[in-house]
Amino acid sequence: MKTAASPNFLLSLLRMPWALLSGSYHFINRLRANRAGFIGFLGLIAYFILTFIMPYFIPFDSEVNLDEIAGPVGSRIQLAVHRDNAHLKTFEDLASKTVGVVDQTGGPSLIAPYADSITIEKYRWTSRRAGPGIRAALLDLADKEIDGMLIFSKTVEQILADDEDLELQAVYREHIVISNPELGPPHLLGTDTQGRDIATHIVHGGRILILTAVIGGVISTLIALVVGSLSALLGGPLDSAMTALSNLILAVPRLPLLVVLAGLIRFDNTLFLGVMIGLLGWPPLMRAIRAQVLSLRERDFVEAARSLGLSTTHIMFREMLPNMISYVMINFIFAITFAMYEQIALLVLGLAPIDDYTWGVMLYFGRSRGTLYNEDGASMALAPVLAIAFFQVCLVLFARALEEVFDPRLRSAV
Amino acid sequence: MASHSSDLENARVNSPNPVKYVSDFFDRYPIHKNYYLRIFLQALVTIWAVMSFTFVLVRLMPGNPVDVLIEQILTQEGISYQEAYDRVAASFNIDPDASMLDQYVDYVGDLLRLDLGTSITSPGTRVIDEIARFLPWTIFAVGCGFLISFVLGIVLGMTMAYYRDSVLDHSLSLVSSFFTGVPNYIWGLLIIIGPGITWKWFNVGAARGTYDPGLTPGFNAEFIASAIEHALLPIFTYVLATLGSWMLSMKSSTASVLNDDYVNVAEARGLKDRRIITSYVGRNAMLPLFAQLSISIGFVLGSGVVIEEIFVYWGFGHYLFQAITVRDYTGIQGSVLILSSTFVFSNLLADLTYGLLDPRVRITGEK
Repeated sequence: MKTAASPNFLLSLLRMPWALLSGSYHFINRLRANRAGFIGFLGLIAYFILTFIMPYFIPFDSEVNLDEIAGPVGSRIQLAVHRDNAHLKTFEDLASKTVGVVDQTGGPSLIAPYADSITIEKYRWTSRRAGPGIRAALLDLADKEIDGMLIFSKTVEQILADDEDLELQAVYREHIVISNPELGPPHLLGTDTQGRDIATHIVHGGRILILTAVIGGVISTLIALVVGSLSALLGGPLDSAMTALSNLILAVPRLPLLVVLAGLIRFDNTLFLGVMIGLLGWPPLMRAIRAQVLSLRERDFVEAARSLGLSTTHIMFREMLPNMISYVMINFIFAITFAMYEQIALLVLGLAPIDDYTWGVMLYFGRSRGTLYNEDGASMALAPVLAIAFFQVCLVLFARALEEVFDPRLRSAV
Repeated sequence: MASHSSDLENARVNSPNPVKYVSDFFDRYPIHKNYYLRIFLQALVTIWAVMSFTFVLVRLMPGNPVDVLIEQILTQEGISYQEAYDRVAASFNIDPDASMLDQYVDYVGDLLRLDLGTSITSPGTRVIDEIARFLPWTIFAVGCGFLISFVLGIVLGMTMAYYRDSVLDHSLSLVSSFFTGVPNYIWGLLIIIGPGITWKWFNVGAARGTYDPGLTPGFNAEFIASAIEHALLPIFTYVLATLGSWMLSMKSSTASVLNDDYVNVAEARGLKDRRIITSYVGRNAMLPLFAQLSISIGFVLGSGVVIEEIFVYWGFGHYLFQAITVRDYTGIQGSVLILSSTFVFSNLLADLTYGLLDPRVRITGEK
């Protein structure tokens, strides 16, 4: 693992890309032996693309559409026309015709680009889905006062199922057909309680969450590494103090402690929450690292380095660290999963800032607005639940594969 | 550990010098070298530190809770300042005029008498009573969950170790990654959305609370059935969330025992497989897991916070969360103390029992 220090710093800099490339090639090759771990690795790459690259191509849907509330997976805007006009299917067919849209629904924004060629008849939204606004539009459509109408598929379904509205149903069945059930783009994961597309929220909701978890993981791992190795190497009062401090932090279970602190302090920034999680998360790893350094200190090669008169920094970074780095790496990944766990727990309880619309915040709203208990709208909670679950599983699979790659004794043909 | 007591005897008999200094006392009676005494004292010191921490948390936080509360009561109930002041002082069991040191001494004294103060938001309710009301439900649900997953994990882990590198082993270890990776509250939400809402196997709303309203708590079949029914979802969640780690621990523990000579000898002696599995491999492989089990007792109370909110199960976690949302400082204080005491004492239990269960582990002062 140790490479000889090059006399020429620039030369080693030049070599670095190649070393990185060949290193990662060998790493991936070794990882491929562990099928589950390789899947986890690919999953993490997919998550990186989903949460860090795709947001640049897919805009966040912040448009509130009152008829599309809690729409199920795949629902979209449809084109309703009079039975006699069933040949009208696209916006091109509708040129120079009159089309009805209800304000505050998905219709107006969909038809806006065609405002030059199509006459738009606006209806005023009133309270309910399938409420008076939509009813008026449908009745006008039946009377051929307008030639087409943009209507959300879930609304159509609801009108058909609405037993109270027998009159409208009769009109609907007699005069109106859906000529194009796929006029608008589909909502891949349905819509939330404000009629916004959940898929775009999933794309945008992971970045801050993952960053916060990584910040938590980095901070706790760094503190554990520095404090653990320092207290093992220096010993004395520092060691006792640090061990006592870690005991104290460990004495209160972490999640309840965070819940209490988050309840009392009220963080105003999600990333600060990551710092807080990191500051409380280091003791278990610190103990392990301290024990490792204590045992490494007695090894022959460290004794040899010490008798050669090499500095403590040299012994620490060139002799001991390479022997611990794999262990630290694996625990870093586990620290990320813990930070993720704690952060989302706080979000679900509503104790963390909800300014950034992350998967955790989606869960919070999904629960507090009751879509969790609604079969059609469950996607608002289910989508982030699955996103979080698979992310965590990928991390764990990857960490376990790393354990095997670094420790040949564990290697098997999984 | 018999050697320690004989050391004490020897020290007493052999030293003629009278005790003059504290150090002489420890020289003669080396109780500070007694491992059990040391870890016990350590536990006490930790609890004291947590006690002081909650004291600081409640009194020295930015925006002193005492003042905030007085303000709050003044604006909400429109009583005189003195009345509000008295009420807050009574809740906290402190005299806000006294010096910080006197307050601290009072506070510690009250705690030693198990007096955690009275609830600030609902005056007159003692915090200790409230906790005693909610605590058993969590212990019941989480305890059942942990025990079931412990037993299941041991069986599955041993199976994995016995059929190492088979399809069964690989699929089980993949499953265990799923169990450990997915957070427990995510399991809870999945259970609600999947079987509960989409497939309608059970009624999510009816499973809320700890038992059906209208039943009298006590030893009657109806009440017990209802209590189990309501706890089923949380128990199932705890089993799912903790099963993976038990499986993996048991697998690695069994794998190392299987390599031991005495197992080979037992096989060579022609003992029945069943006997080898239970009394040779199983018993020894389970030893390290018992220490883990007693440590995990410490997590029993804490692990319910989110799960109990999701299933609306009225246990300790629910109480703690309610106390936080209404800023019931004495409630929070008491909950944190109970939480950390269980945690510290379960760790102590792990340390104590480990040496007893496994004589091979020689416990010395150095760890």
